[in-house]
Amino acid sequence: MHKELIWLSLPALAAPALPAYAVQYLTLEQAQRALFPEAAAFRETRILLTAEQRAAIEKASRVRVRVPELNAWRVESAGKTLGWFLLDEVYGKHEFITYALALDYSGAVRGIEILDYRETHGGEVRNANWRAQFVGKRAGAPLELDNDIKNISGATLSCKHIADGVRRLLASYEAVLK
Amino acid sequence: MTHKPLLSRSLVAALALAALVPTARADENLLGYTTGAETLPQGATEGYFWYTQRNDKGSGHYAARDYKAELEYGFTHRFTGSLALHGLGIDTHGLSIDGYLPKDERYGFKASGIQLGMKYNILSPVKDGLGLSIYVEPSYFWKDPHSGQDKDSYKLETQLLLQKNFMDDTLVWVGNLGFEGTWAKRKAIADLPPGFDWPTTPEMEIELSAKTGVSYRFAPNWFVGGEVVYQTEFETEVGQERWSVFAGPSLHYGSKQWWATLTWMPQLAGGGASTYPGQPEHLHLVEKTKQEIRLKLGYNF
Repeated sequence: MHKELIWLSLPALAAPALPAYAVQYLTLEQAQRALFPEAAAFRETRILLTAEQRAAIEKASRVRVRVPELNAWRVESAGKTLGWFLLDEVYGKHEFITYALALDYSGAVRGIEILDYRETHGGEVRNANWRAQFVGKRAGAPLELDNDIKNISGATLSCKHIADGVRRLLASYEAVLK
Repeated sequence: MTHKPLLSRSLVAALALAALVPTARADENLLGYTTGAETLPQGATEGYFWYTQRNDKGSGHYAARDYKAELEYGFTHRFTGSLALHGLGIDTHGLSIDGYLPKDERYGFKASGIQLGMKYNILSPVKDGLGLSIYVEPSYFWKDPHSGQDKDSYKLETQLLLQKNFMDDTLVWVGNLGFEGTWAKRKAIADLPPGFDWPTTPEMEIELSAKTGVSYRFAPNWFVGGEVVYQTEFETEVGQERWSVFAGPSLHYGSKQWWATLTWMPQLAGGGASTYPGQPEHLHLVEKTKQEIRLKLGYNF
C-alpha cells in the first residue's frame, strides 16, 4: 500500500476509538428532588394509554404519541397531592433527550429538568432561562417556537422537540391524570 | 508546479492529525452526494474527510481515488464557511480515450486542488417547515480528475439546497439544484500517440445537476438512505458533452463526537456526444465510471 494511504487510513481506524460522552446531568431521584424539594413521597403510576386516549392526546397536542406509556409519579406531602412528576423522551438528532416535567395540582407547569442530553450541539436547552418559559403553561397553550417559546439559534431541533413533548404531556394530563 | 509534493505531504499530515484530535448534526451529511439545508451553529467547527473511489470505464483498467479534507466553521447561525484541500490517486492502463485519457497513469496520492465553500441558510427545515439554503463554492484544481494529467481548472459552483423533515425529523428529504461554470486549460503532454487529440487551448464548461434523496433514522444513531444524482455538462466544441444518472444507498452513523457516511453509487444511465469506440452502451464512461463508492467522516471540534 502506498505510504500516504496508510496515513490516510488513520482517521477511519481512530474514529471507533474516540471516547463517547453520554452525559447524564441528573438521575431520576435528583430530578424529582430538584422539581419537588418539599415532597414526602413519589408514587409511581405507570399508565398504558388506550387507543382512544392516544388519539385524543394527538388531536389536542398535534404531536404523535410514539410510546403508549405515560411514566408518571403522583407527588405527595403531608397526605396531600402536590402535583405530578412526568418522565419523557423526545428525539434528539442522534439519540433521545430525556427530560422531566413537573405539574402542580392544577395542571400548570412547575418546572422542567433535562436528565440526559447526548447531542453534539443544542445543549443550550439546559439553560434555566429557556426552561423557565414553560413555567405556568397549561394544556391548550401554543408552546410553539417564535410564538410563546423563544427559539435558541443553533439548537432549533432540540427546542422544538422539547416544546412538542411538553405540549403532548400537558394534553396527556388533561386526558388521563386530571 | 514545484509546490505540489509539499502540498501533498501537508494534506496527508493535516488529515491524519485532525482525525486524531479527540473531540466532543447541524451540517452532518446523511447522504454521500446530496446536501441538506442546515448550517453549523455559530462558533462550531467541524472537520471532514471524504474518500471517493471511481471504478471501471468498461474497458481496460481504471480506478481513481478522490480525497478531500475540509474544515468548516459557523460564522453565524445562518452562515457557514469552509476551506477544503483535495487529493487524487489514479491507476489506469490498457485504455486510451481520444481527447480524454492520453496514456497509462499510476500514482497513489497527489494534491490536486483547493476549494472554498459558503453556505447561507434562509429557511430552517425544523422551524419553517421547508429548509432552504444557498451554497457557493469557488475552487481551483491543477489535476484533471479523469486522466490524472496536469490541467488548470477554475470552477464556480452554486447550489440551491432544499430539505423537508417528516416523522419528528427522523425522515429527511433533501434536494439540490446546481449550476457550475468551469474555465480549464490542459498542460501539453510529450510523446502522445500520432493523431491523438489533447487540446491545450482554454475550454469553457457548464454543468447542471439535480440531486434528490431521503434518509431515515431507523435506530438511535443510525440512518439509512438513498439518492439519485443527475448531471449534464455543456462544453465549447460539442454542446451537450455528457449526461449521467447515478443512484444508490447510503448508511450513516452519527454520534456526539463524530459521524460517518458510506455510499455506493452505480451509474444507471448516461450518454451524450462523448463516447469511445467499443464502450458499453447506455452509459457515459468517458468522464464518469460505472460506479462510485464514497466514505465521509466528520468530527465536531
